[in-house]
Amino acid sequence: MQDISLHLLDIIENSVRADARKIKIRVINDQAINKLRLIIEDDGRGMDEETLRMAQDPFYTSKEQREIKVGLGIPLFKQNAELSEGSFSIKSEPGFGTVITADFALDNIDRMPLGNLKDTLLGSIVGHPEVDFSVKLISRQKGREQSFHFDAAAIKEELGGIPLTYPDVIEYIDHSLLEGIQNTNMEDV
Amino acid sequence: MKTLADLKQIREKAQEDMKLRGANTRIKIVVGMGTSGIAMGAREVMKTFLEEISGRNLTDVLVTQTGEKGLSSMEPVVDVIEENKPKVTYGNMTPEKVKKVVVEHIVNGNIVSEFVVATGN
Repeated sequence: MQDISLHLLDIIENSVRADARKIKIRVINDQAINKLRLIIEDDGRGMDEETLRMAQDPFYTSKEQREIKVGLGIPLFKQNAELSEGSFSIKSEPGFGTVITADFALDNIDRMPLGNLKDTLLGSIVGHPEVDFSVKLISRQKGREQSFHFDAAAIKEELGGIPLTYPDVIEYIDHSLLEGIQNTNMEDV
Repeated sequence: MKTLADLKQIREKAQEDMKLRGANTRIKIVVGMGTSGIAMGAREVMKTFLEEISGRNLTDVLVTQTGEKGLSSMEPVVDVIEENKPKVTYGNMTPEKVKKVVVEHIVNGNIVSEFVVATGN
């Protein structure tokens, strides 16, 4: 993975495979404490302790365990966070869902760029109409806080039965996300 | 600023549209978005489909994304599903190939055989 947004996309797909109906994503760019934080919270089926341990360790997965195989996505994300003076945590409760928090030191030379957050979010929101995405972007710098909130459920309600892949809707979501990303200075993080 | 009022306009326009042309989905496109697909460029493939649908105003095409499809060596992988026709799977997709598939297959109905890696269910 070349950037943090691709890891985010991978985590979103894990949540969808776990039958999540709500996925909350927060991206916080906090210059004051030199931290880029991502929090991904879902209401999917969750994992027990054993599965959770395996999900974080590339050596515990195998083809025989395919039904509980989560793959390399989580270990790689964890490694990339930890390599840049960051941290990674995953908490899960069977039947309730999973929360992943990844921190990156903003000024660390080994930190991957945030990358194309817009295309990760656009594809996921439009490509998973059954999931209600709630996205919050927060930027804190020089004592100022700017935030952007995108609520897919509200949009779907307003649209009635019009699908998210309707051409004008794709354009609407694309523009909203672009504005939000620009307003919170997430373009070149 | 994009507001919910803009959505109301879109809804009204789309509802008019559907009255005229019907609300049927003619083609469903599924983009494989497993870990290996993502690493090989599936996000850009998805984005290009959305751009083409929006740019060409294709109102009867549905695009979704899905996890691992078990064809890791041919990622990014895309399924094109039409009613009463065998499923067509395209492999090693790029934004350029997506544009060709949209024009030739989605719009004009001709399968782009050189990109096909599997057919049927």
